[in-house]
Amino acid sequence: MDLALLGKSILALGAMGALFGGLLAVAARQFHVEVDPRVEAVAAALPGANCGACGQPSCFAVAEAMVEGTTEPDACVAGGKACAEAVADILGKDVGDVKETVVARHCGGGVHATARYDYEGLRSCVSVSRLSGGPILCPAGCFGLGDCALACPFDALAMGEHGLPVVDLEKCTGCESCVCACPRGRAGLLGMVHAEAPVVVRCNSHDKAKAKRSYCEVSCIACRKCEKECPEEAIKVVDFVAVVDYELCTGCGTCVEVCPQDCIESFGRDPS
Amino acid sequence: MSTGVYFALLFVGAALVNNILLTRFIGLCPFFGVSNNFQTSVGMSLAVAFVMTMATAATWFFWNFVLVPLGVGEFLYIPAFILVIASLVQFVEMFLRKYVPGLYRSMGIYLPLITTNCAVLATATEAVNPGFFKINLPYAFGFGEAIVYTLGVSAGFALALLTFSALRERLELAPVPRSFKGNPIAFITAGLLSLGYIGMAGWFGL
Repeated sequence: MDLALLGKSILALGAMGALFGGLLAVAARQFHVEVDPRVEAVAAALPGANCGACGQPSCFAVAEAMVEGTTEPDACVAGGKACAEAVADILGKDVGDVKETVVARHCGGGVHATARYDYEGLRSCVSVSRLSGGPILCPAGCFGLGDCALACPFDALAMGEHGLPVVDLEKCTGCESCVCACPRGRAGLLGMVHAEAPVVVRCNSHDKAKAKRSYCEVSCIACRKCEKECPEEAIKVVDFVAVVDYELCTGCGTCVEVCPQDCIESFGRDPS
Repeated sequence: MSTGVYFALLFVGAALVNNILLTRFIGLCPFFGVSNNFQTSVGMSLAVAFVMTMATAATWFFWNFVLVPLGVGEFLYIPAFILVIASLVQFVEMFLRKYVPGLYRSMGIYLPLITTNCAVLATATEAVNPGFFKINLPYAFGFGEAIVYTLGVSAGFALALLTFSALRERLELAPVPRSFKGNPIAFITAGLLSLGYIGMAGWFGL
């Protein structure tokens, strides 16, 4: 081995590295641009996940927009109430009532849903959705391969034991990243409900009861028991599936008890 | 051959005959990445021309006054050039941010993208080692030749990128079959465009 050549290489690269490092250090000081300190403070108050739910490309970009006043302090969907208050505090503005939302899965199928075929391949809901309409017979159910859990920037979704994603309500911020990632998300499989929604219907298939019974043991069969028993008339069967009106729902839990298919479940954060 | 004709031929050869994007297929990432919008392509072309010229000027000096005298250029040029180009782009970015904020805002997102663009590295390498990627000519460019060559390459880059983005904007309105929409038709278009450029091979013996 030619030690002289090795020495020269180290010398050349080392000297160049030191030279450029020094130049950049000087330049960083010389060309330093004062950034509005409020932008940095606001950016620090935001969650910093760059989830994009606000419509801006990054948390820093929305922080700039908030300071400029082109965006309201409560623009951060993921940060929710605490974040909006912190931002408003920095900017000396008021925020109104901020409603926090969380994601709810409108499917209870998982292991109870009848498979269309055995799937062996890429563990991705998007890719399996392209294969003969999905691996389950239900046209609206969850495939259970966890694209939503992968997409969640806040680690709020995990695949549960029944082959369905389970949301951690304390971590979910309502940024809708999972809804975008899920091939059936916008079709109604995943929905945004307010964080204290007391119940959620675990079915969103609009097929007739007979068809639904044939492919899923826990589907809503549109029997209207919940509708009849609800003291507040907050739950209605629309297009063969129960829908909750959260404006009227008091969270008494009657529908959860009477549902013969067990497809209505308690949900939501504890209001206290 | 007079000097003027020589430089003109050098420029045309770099821009058209050996077009960096469509004849030699170097730096294709921005070619597909930013070409769906004409305005963005204009910004990208200007930024590439700017960075390429600065980078070649800097690497030419380091090659001739540091790497060659030490005899380490042959195997050390890639890390050395990357180092020079990356620091230079960083420096230019800081400078622009301070003194020309307007230009920084319009060019800002492209500058970091170009830092490690292979077209810039390839041009810097070829300016000190003419014909490096085809045949190693026993000949070195002077500083003037290196700069004219780089300007030619960046003009070729701009021409190819702008034509391609204009074509893609037109394609948005064309009745493309559904399975060909988006990237597939872009690849086909790029292939046809490339055929056109390859038709210029051998002009003036370049």
